[in-house]
Amino acid sequence: MESESKNLLELHDIEAGYGRAALVLRGLSVVVPPSSVVCLVGPNGAGKSTVLKVASGMLVPRSGSIRIDGRDVTGDGPQRMLQNGLAHVLQGHSVFREMTVGENVMLGAFTVSDEKVVRERVEFVQNLFPIVGERWKQLAGLLSGGQQKQVEFARSLMVSPKVVLLDEPSMGLDPKTTAKVFEQVARMRDAGTAVLLVEQNARRALETADIGCVLDLGRVHISGPAAELLADPTLADLYLGGQPSSGTDASTRS
Amino acid sequence: MSASLLLQAVILGVLLGGLYALLAAGLTLYFGIMRVVMIAHAAFLVLAAYLAWWINREMGIDPLLSLVVTVPLFFVIGVLIQRLLVSRLKPLTLTMMSVLLTFAVALVIEGGLGFLFTGTQRRIPLSYASDSLNLFGAQVPVVKLIAFGLAALSLALLFLLLKYTRFGQALRATIQHPEAARLVGINTDRVAGYGFGLGLATAAIGGTALSLDATIYPSLHWHWIGPLMAIIVVGGLGSIPGAAIAALVLGVAQSLLQLPMGPTWAQTVFYIALFLTLMFRPQGFFGGRLAKRF
Repeated sequence: MESESKNLLELHDIEAGYGRAALVLRGLSVVVPPSSVVCLVGPNGAGKSTVLKVASGMLVPRSGSIRIDGRDVTGDGPQRMLQNGLAHVLQGHSVFREMTVGENVMLGAFTVSDEKVVRERVEFVQNLFPIVGERWKQLAGLLSGGQQKQVEFARSLMVSPKVVLLDEPSMGLDPKTTAKVFEQVARMRDAGTAVLLVEQNARRALETADIGCVLDLGRVHISGPAAELLADPTLADLYLGGQPSSGTDASTRS
Repeated sequence: MSASLLLQAVILGVLLGGLYALLAAGLTLYFGIMRVVMIAHAAFLVLAAYLAWWINREMGIDPLLSLVVTVPLFFVIGVLIQRLLVSRLKPLTLTMMSVLLTFAVALVIEGGLGFLFTGTQRRIPLSYASDSLNLFGAQVPVVKLIAFGLAALSLALLFLLLKYTRFGQALRATIQHPEAARLVGINTDRVAGYGFGLGLATAAIGGTALSLDATIYPSLHWHWIGPLMAIIVVGGLGSIPGAAIAALVLGVAQSLLQLPMGPTWAQTVFYIALFLTLMFRPQGFFGGRLAKRF
C-alpha cells in the first residue's frame, strides 16, 4: 500500500525478451521514487536497455506488471506511456538531424494540444538548457554530441513527464561533456522530474544517482543508495571496474 | 546550331525537368519513409493518364479536371497498398521484397489497362494541343507550360505541406528517426500509410500532366521507370530537393543532347548519369546534407 503512493514508477517481476529468443529480463523489479535519479548498472547484455524499452512501451513484457503512480499500465504502447508520464531518450543520437532545434523541441510536444502549456514548456526547457534557446533555428544535426543530448533531453521534457528514461546518455561523449551531461541530469531531477538512468559509465552515473541497482542476468542483483554501492569494495571490483584510485579521476575500465 | 535552337532546347529541358521532378517526388517519398522501391509508380502515372483520357472521352471535359477524382482516389489507393501489402513485408528484407511486390502491382495495372482499353495508342485530343507561346524568341508548346506549371505548383504545395503542417513534421520525423518519432508519440504506421498515399497522389498529378502531351499505351510505364529511378539515385535516395535538382539537370541535359543525337540516344543520359553516380558518388550528388532536408 505504502509503496503505491511513494513510487512514481514500479516495474514488478518483469519477464521480457525479443521474438522467440531467450528471455532478457527474468523477474526484474525496479522502483523509481519521486524526484530521484535511479541508475541501472551492470555488464553488457544484462538487459539494461531492455528495462527502459519495457517501461516506455516499446517492448511488451511477457509477464509482470508496470505501475505509474500506483496505476497498472502494463501493455500500453509508446503513445499511451507518453500520456502516462514516461518519456524515453534513446541511446546514441536521436535528434531529428535535418530539422531545427526548435522543430525538434516542438515535436516533443506532439501529443500536447494546449498551446499555452507548450509555450510554458518551451520557456521551461530553454531555462534548463540555455543552448536550446540559443540554437533554436539551427539544424540539430550540426550541433556537437553534448549539445544534441541536451536537445533530446529538452524534447523529452516537453510533455512534462513524471519520469524520464535515459539510455546511456554519455555514450560517445568525451569526459568533459559527459560531466556536463550528468550535471544536466541532476538539474532535471532538481526541477522535479524523476530519472531512470542506464549507464555503461557506472561509477560516474552512480555519483549523480540517488539509488543504484546492479543488474545481472536479467534481474536486479543488488540495490541501495548509490553512495553505498560506490563505497562497497566487492561491488566496485565486480561491476565498477575496481576500486577508485583516488578522488575524481575514478573512471570505469571498459 | 543556332542560338535560338539552343535556347529552345534549354527552355524545353527545364520544362521537362520540372515534370520529371514531380514524377520522381513520389518515388523519393516511398524510399525516404519506408525504404520501399516502388516499381509501380510509373504504372500509376500511366493509369492516371488513362483515367484523364477516359474521362475526357466519356464526358468531354478537360483532362485537368480529372484531378478532382484521381488525386483523392490515388491517395486512398496508396494508403491501402501500404496498409495491406507493404506493411506485411518483413523489415529485414523490405527493400528487396518491395521491388518484387511493386513489380507485380505494375504488371497488374498494365494487364488491367490492356484488358480494358486494348494496346492501342491513345492521345487526348486537345483544342490547344498545337498552340505555342513565344518565350525569348523560342517557340514553347502551351501543353508543356501547363505540365510544368502543374508540376511546380504541386511541388511547392508538397514543400509547404512537409515543412509547415503537423502531418509534414510527423512525416519528416518518421523519415529521419522512426524510433524517436514513435517515442514523441507519433503513430509512425499511420504516418507511413499517409506518406505512401501522398506519394501516389503525386503520381495522379504527374500522370495527368503527362497525358496532355504524350501518346499513351499500357506498357508505357517501362519507358519511364528507368529514368525516374536514375533521377532519385543521382539526387541522393530519399532527398526530395536532391531529386528535383537532379531532375532539372538531367532534363536539360537530355533536351540539349537531343539536338546532336536525336531523342533515342539522348535518353541514355539517365543511365550514364546513373553509372557515374554509382561509380563516384553512390550516396548521390545532393544526398549528404541536403537529404531529408524537408
